[in-house]
Amino acid sequence: MAWNEPGGNNGKDPWGGGGGNRNNDGPPDLDELFRKVQQKLGGLFGGSPSTGTGKFPWMLVIVIAVLIYAGLGIYQVNANEQAVVLRLGKYHSTESAGLHWNPPLIDSVTKVNMTEVRTERTTGQMLTEDANIVEVVLTVQWQVSDAESFVLRVREPVKSLQEATDSALRHVVGSLTLNGVISQNRTQVSTDTQQRLQEYLDLYQTGIRIDVVNLTDAKAPREVQDAFDDVTKAREDEVRLQNEAQAYANQVIPVARGQAQRIIEEAEGYKARVVESARGEAVRFEKLLSEYERAPEVTRERLYLDAVQDVMSNTSKVMVDVEGGNNMMYLPLDKLTQESTSQAVQRKDTSPIVIEEVYQRIVERLRQDAASSRRSQTVR
Amino acid sequence: MNNKSLGIIVALLLVVLLVSSSAFVVKETEKAVLLRFGELVRTYTEPGLYFKIPFAEKLRKFDARIQTVDSSPVRMLNSENKFMMVDSYAKYRISDVSKFYIATRGDERNAVRLLSERINDQLRNQFGVRDLHEVVSGERDELMAEITKNLNKVAQGDLGVEVIDVRVKRIDLPPEVSESVFQRMRAGRELEARDHRAKGQEASERIKANADRQKVVIESEAYRQAEELRGAGDAEAASIYAAAYTKNPEFYRFTRSLQAYRESFRSKSDMLLVDPDSEFFRYLKDPKGQ
Repeated sequence: MAWNEPGGNNGKDPWGGGGGNRNNDGPPDLDELFRKVQQKLGGLFGGSPSTGTGKFPWMLVIVIAVLIYAGLGIYQVNANEQAVVLRLGKYHSTESAGLHWNPPLIDSVTKVNMTEVRTERTTGQMLTEDANIVEVVLTVQWQVSDAESFVLRVREPVKSLQEATDSALRHVVGSLTLNGVISQNRTQVSTDTQQRLQEYLDLYQTGIRIDVVNLTDAKAPREVQDAFDDVTKAREDEVRLQNEAQAYANQVIPVARGQAQRIIEEAEGYKARVVESARGEAVRFEKLLSEYERAPEVTRERLYLDAVQDVMSNTSKVMVDVEGGNNMMYLPLDKLTQESTSQAVQRKDTSPIVIEEVYQRIVERLRQDAASSRRSQTVR
Repeated sequence: MNNKSLGIIVALLLVVLLVSSSAFVVKETEKAVLLRFGELVRTYTEPGLYFKIPFAEKLRKFDARIQTVDSSPVRMLNSENKFMMVDSYAKYRISDVSKFYIATRGDERNAVRLLSERINDQLRNQFGVRDLHEVVSGERDELMAEITKNLNKVAQGDLGVEVIDVRVKRIDLPPEVSESVFQRMRAGRELEARDHRAKGQEASERIKANADRQKVVIESEAYRQAEELRGAGDAEAASIYAAAYTKNPEFYRFTRSLQAYRESFRSKSDMLLVDPDSEFFRYLKDPKGQ
């Protein structure tokens, strides 16, 4: 009885009792009908009158056929889908999500995914308004908005979309300049293309809605990419040079200000030093002057002797009597200088001795002079 | 029993055969013509279930949806006598199925070929009187609308086809022209790059020169200020000296000379040649100093 199992709802299945007439669950009129049909057919082909065993397989065949037919008509439409139903070739309805049944062979059902966002990508080199060439990569995200049009109005909606995208994009790029496409008007490329593309698609009744158009990439063609890169580098260079110069300026000016301040401070210092020392010297002089005025002769003499003594005691001296001396005179200046420098180290300690020595020498010399003059006088 | 069921099966098969060869469905996406012994007797433009005489009548169905003629790129001359590669497509739909059948002998490829020849012809005409700039940017829409209009005049009458839209996909330059465009673009970029670098140098020089100028200005101002200060100091000192020394110029000269002697001879390496008759030795000879 396997044939009977799928239709397990015994109470409702009109064929449930069809296996035999033993239980009278099934509507009797149907049984009656089948019996009549079989009798007629049997009569037509001149066969023996139908018996219980002869009737059974026919019923079975018909039941299976009907079940299969009915089962084929059941279909499910998912939440993200719509189904376009044609009845005898004519548009009948668009079904939304749920379980549906349509008579097979009479109706044909095409399911379309309405929510899936699909992507098309187009890329290529194209001419711009200023007769340059630009390389563009563009992606289009789209959805089916009208299942009926998508299925029935145009032969290849997706291919139409591709063609329309190519055309729309090139139209938009062709009305912009190269720099516009690459930088300034990038968003305009997307929006204009989208608008134009949607116009075309509506005209072609594709039932497609463009969600978004992305200008993924817009750049100079490979053949001239290096030149464009160089422009980018040059722009960076421009900024770099400026920054370097600014850094130089930022260093030079503060240093100059600092140095200027130093010069001024030094001048201030000089001024203070000059003025203060002038004051000091002036006061010193005035003080000395007042003493001097009290006893001019003595003070003057003392000052003079003090000074000369200082000078004399600190200096190598050679006494020369130019008038009375020999015309030829040998002064070993280098030796004297050497001597004095070697002594200079211990000048302070030795100075009295040196003075003494000098005195001795001078006295000696004077005596010799006096003697010689006396001798010359006697000779004379 | 066996004979009877066989008879039933045969009868059923006959019925099915009869029905299937006489009934037909024209779909929403189709248009059809019915031919009786090769003669066109009916057209079907509305979808539905129809019947025909089996074997005697034949049905030809055509796609009624919008279709594409995608012609391959064609080399065209423009008004500047330059070549360009033009790639176009057209969207069309069968409007009169009987005309379409007659004109194309029922072969869609025929229709596509005829259409694309006409499209190319139109494009050639239109492109021949325009220059590159006009077809690339300026007048695309007008151009296409005109071509569509012109095409429709012939296509609808001769082919039973309605041209919905003609579009140029791409207008490319032939490779040899592209190369010169690339060269021009490259030259343009080089110009730009040089411009940027020169501007950078200009700005750099300007900034540096400005900084150098500021440096000089700052330093010279400082020098001026410093000299003023020194001058003021010198002047003040001079006036102080003058005020003091004018009290006794002769004594000043004396003390100053003494100081100068001290300053001048302060080292052992300095040497003094002294005349014994010098005033200093006055008392050396004569304690009375006479």
